[in-house]
Amino acid sequence: MHGRVKVRTSEEEKARKEKERQEKLKVFKNAMQKIQLKRQQCEFDKDLLELTGKVLMSNPDIYTLWNIRREILQQIKNINTEDDLTKVFDDELSMTEYCLKINPKSYCAWHQREWMNEIFIPGTIVEFVVSQCKSSLQDEFDYTTEKLLDNFSNYSAWHYRSKMLLQLYPDIEGGRPIQDIYHKHELKMVQNAAFTDPDDTSAWFYQRWLLGAFKSTVNLVLCTVTQFKTTIAFSKHVSYDYVTSKSRVIVNENVISGDWISLSGNNHDTLWILGHNVSINDDMNIKVEHNGNEKNEIISCFKYKHMTYIGKSDICFQNNYSHPIIEELNEQLKACRQLLVLEPDNKWTLLTTTIFLHCIDSKLYYQETIQNLQRLKKLDQQRAGYYNDLLTKWSIEEQLPLDYASKDLVFKPTFSEKITILPHLQYYSFCEVVDLSNQNLCSNILPSLIFLQHCKILILRNNKLHTLKGFPNIFLEKLDIQGNKDISEEELKHFKDSHDFVTIF
Amino acid sequence: MDDDLPTDFQVIVVGTGMVESIVAAACSRIHKNVLHLDSSDHYGGLWASYNFDGLQKFIKEVNSDPEKQVQVYNLTEQWYIEKESPPEDEKGEGEAKAEDGKTDPPKKIWSQANFASEYRKFNIDMTPKLLFSRGPLVELLISSNIARYAEFRCVTRVLTWMNDRLMPVPCSRADVFATEAVSILEKRMLMKMLTSIVGYNEEEMNNEFKDWNDKTFKEYLEHKGLSANLIHYVLFAIAGGTEGMPCLEGVKECKKFLMSLGRYGNTPFLWPMYGSGELPQCFCRLCAVFGGVYCLNRPIDSVETKTVEEGKTVVVIGSKSKTLNCDHLVIGINECPKDLVSPEPVATSDISKAVFITNGTIMQSEKEPLTLLRFPPLIEGGGAVTVLEVGPATGSCPKGLFVVYFITNKVADAESDLKPYAEKIFDMSGGDQTEDSEKPKCLWSLFYNVKDTSAAAESASACVHVCSGPDAGLDFDRAVEQAEQIFKKICPGEEFLPRAPDPEEIVFEDDVTHGPEFEREQEDEADGDAPKE
Repeated sequence: MHGRVKVRTSEEEKARKEKERQEKLKVFKNAMQKIQLKRQQCEFDKDLLELTGKVLMSNPDIYTLWNIRREILQQIKNINTEDDLTKVFDDELSMTEYCLKINPKSYCAWHQREWMNEIFIPGTIVEFVVSQCKSSLQDEFDYTTEKLLDNFSNYSAWHYRSKMLLQLYPDIEGGRPIQDIYHKHELKMVQNAAFTDPDDTSAWFYQRWLLGAFKSTVNLVLCTVTQFKTTIAFSKHVSYDYVTSKSRVIVNENVISGDWISLSGNNHDTLWILGHNVSINDDMNIKVEHNGNEKNEIISCFKYKHMTYIGKSDICFQNNYSHPIIEELNEQLKACRQLLVLEPDNKWTLLTTTIFLHCIDSKLYYQETIQNLQRLKKLDQQRAGYYNDLLTKWSIEEQLPLDYASKDLVFKPTFSEKITILPHLQYYSFCEVVDLSNQNLCSNILPSLIFLQHCKILILRNNKLHTLKGFPNIFLEKLDIQGNKDISEEELKHFKDSHDFVTIF
Repeated sequence: MDDDLPTDFQVIVVGTGMVESIVAAACSRIHKNVLHLDSSDHYGGLWASYNFDGLQKFIKEVNSDPEKQVQVYNLTEQWYIEKESPPEDEKGEGEAKAEDGKTDPPKKIWSQANFASEYRKFNIDMTPKLLFSRGPLVELLISSNIARYAEFRCVTRVLTWMNDRLMPVPCSRADVFATEAVSILEKRMLMKMLTSIVGYNEEEMNNEFKDWNDKTFKEYLEHKGLSANLIHYVLFAIAGGTEGMPCLEGVKECKKFLMSLGRYGNTPFLWPMYGSGELPQCFCRLCAVFGGVYCLNRPIDSVETKTVEEGKTVVVIGSKSKTLNCDHLVIGINECPKDLVSPEPVATSDISKAVFITNGTIMQSEKEPLTLLRFPPLIEGGGAVTVLEVGPATGSCPKGLFVVYFITNKVADAESDLKPYAEKIFDMSGGDQTEDSEKPKCLWSLFYNVKDTSAAAESASACVHVCSGPDAGLDFDRAVEQAEQIFKKICPGEEFLPRAPDPEEIVFEDDVTHGPEFEREQEDEADGDAPKE
């Protein structure tokens, strides 16, 4: 019929589309082949940079190609002058920017930006580049702001922001990770996100990271000296070099020489044993020196019993924020409390309130935080395990200073909630009796028992152990593992046979 | 020419308004034989866009011959600037100022003569409307593939008038996150409110709102504990309502707004490039592509229905001494002889409209803004006022100017209904255009009333279908809905505007009657693409 438009049938249309697809595939395969070939022949030149760029611009998520680009960039960096490098740097950034337009959350593209700023630039640092580098960091920081204002559900952008923040605004004078005014600004920003969409976890992650960015120091917390063993414990993991160069055990004014040994066998540990051949008697003056970054700590050890000297420091688990940050946290706490009046059963508001309370003054708000966590366990059963672990950790942090004030050599947690994990166990390495009966401990805690270096009696009765695999090599006089029903008879028998302690069932 | 026009059609459409044009396209698309007429020399009727010259002609026509444009009245045009540009030496002074270290170039001093010489750069709408990004018109444009004939710009912001000043309305998740105008507690309350409204399905709606049938939306928002600021945002700016808006209507309007977020831009709205008047033309174009015949400047003189044989009725139209026959007549209400409409359309409130041309935006922003501003009623008994501000980037006016539309339901007359609102945001005192003031200068204004002919009108005959005129609403939804209804009556069981093929999907074949030489060339060019049989 005249005047009618004739349209291809769907079959024909399909064939045409398929043909187009095949064409595209051919081009893609061809490019990939060329790239692989050039790489095999180590031709890391601008040509290859261009080839990979073309493919990435249509598909930014091919990790391999980004890897190859980094190889090329490394090569270029070694050959070229500053001027050329600035151009290479700018080109690469605009290339990732283009890719992030296609996929704003492309992990590879974000990673490439980070790599450019952290690896590529620092290697080439010469005085004049430093200022340039700073301004490009600022650009990067602003870029994350822009992306987050578009859509703050973007883990990559928050993460990248945290990296920029540490480099751009460290509080070098105050020894804090971030300058107060920027720290405050970020806390406000993330609170805005959290209140806008509490179900978006990306903001929570960033908030936790911000709350963790306080001034923290390494402290020597404990020294135990017996006729068999000398151990010292730190608040954080320290390296072999650190412990060797910064700590000294002094007996009767003489520094004991010997080698420090980590029990885990790792280079970093919280508990260290000093291997020495000084024999210990009942009439000694023992102290430990720790040359920390800020001040010189000295712990004097006292005789607790026959040939057992123990020195404990004043311990404190309070996060050390600056005054302005505490003020900001109090502001935000106030907003959370108001919201909680309106939405008493909102789990995220309750959890944030609780975390703020803990961060502001864990001792003052101890009871309230514990009650909140107990409520959260009921409101949000899926995360009961997480709340249980927090309960345990905060209870033990509350208990530890009390235990340190006592003369007992016993660790026996008796909280209203059963404990589920064993945090800060190095602090209890001096105890001779560790009674963990009637708790909710699982077998995954077994390896950490290695911290109980001076323990003689260990009671694990009525817990939730299902196996004894991972039980560390410690010398006990008595081990009680009754009432852990899930351990098989066979395993128990085998365990008994291979250990020589007095074991009760 | 007249003699060339065939006389027998399946469908004749009279008037090129939105509803008529959609029906014409839909009929033509399924290969109905369509003739489309309009009595004036341009497309769109009351839905048209004019350049400045065309608008002047329209104004003259209304003022000189009220019979011809019966639906427009109370029309007052006013200039706030000089007839001619200031003499050269003053301009020189302005430039010297710029060199003195001022960063901004001096503001252009506009005269009436400038408007006249740049008249082509104006596209001023008689019926400015927005499209909801997920509304029925956008979906129709996509599904029918007519979107390829049109271009759109995203509305960049939604403003409201609150505490005696303009305020941006945080309407998307990103806005709520970024705004500093509301406390974080309010952010939570607002987001909770908005997400719960989006989340309601039909059943939950009935549950949540079963006790709210006879209450207002404002009462509901108060019940939910929203602060006064938030209620203002939600009620006036998002739902576009008034104090008395019924609860369910408010919820529905909110939901419509929210559902359209996040598709194209930061607001739920699109604005057609070169004005709303482009849209009827897009549908006409599709109609023509599928063989529809167009004839502008072609008034009709008479309409009659004749029963030719049992059960078959033909509509006979007299136009310029010619007789045209069709099975169905689709006719705009304004072109329709009164005796064909029965019963008389319900008298509703008429519409008050105003257009302003200003020398700057009502609220500065980084990039050129495209603004929807919703005023709550400021006058006792008045309605809410909708304001649209469009700039040069939309093809509506020359650089340096903005076109601003005001729409509300008529209370007294357009000028007294709308001027108090305009004075809030414009400087209407005339005077020096270069002086720095917070408000943009109004350079030109036009107030007019339009009869509301948007109520669906029933025709006396089953073969005559009467199309409504534009309503005061923000969107085209009612026009689309009505067009589909009319189409279903004319072509029961047929698909409404199935997807039109892209040019590359069209096959050029040999078996058609050969046309003039150029078609053959086209055929050769297409050889590479078209499979040979």
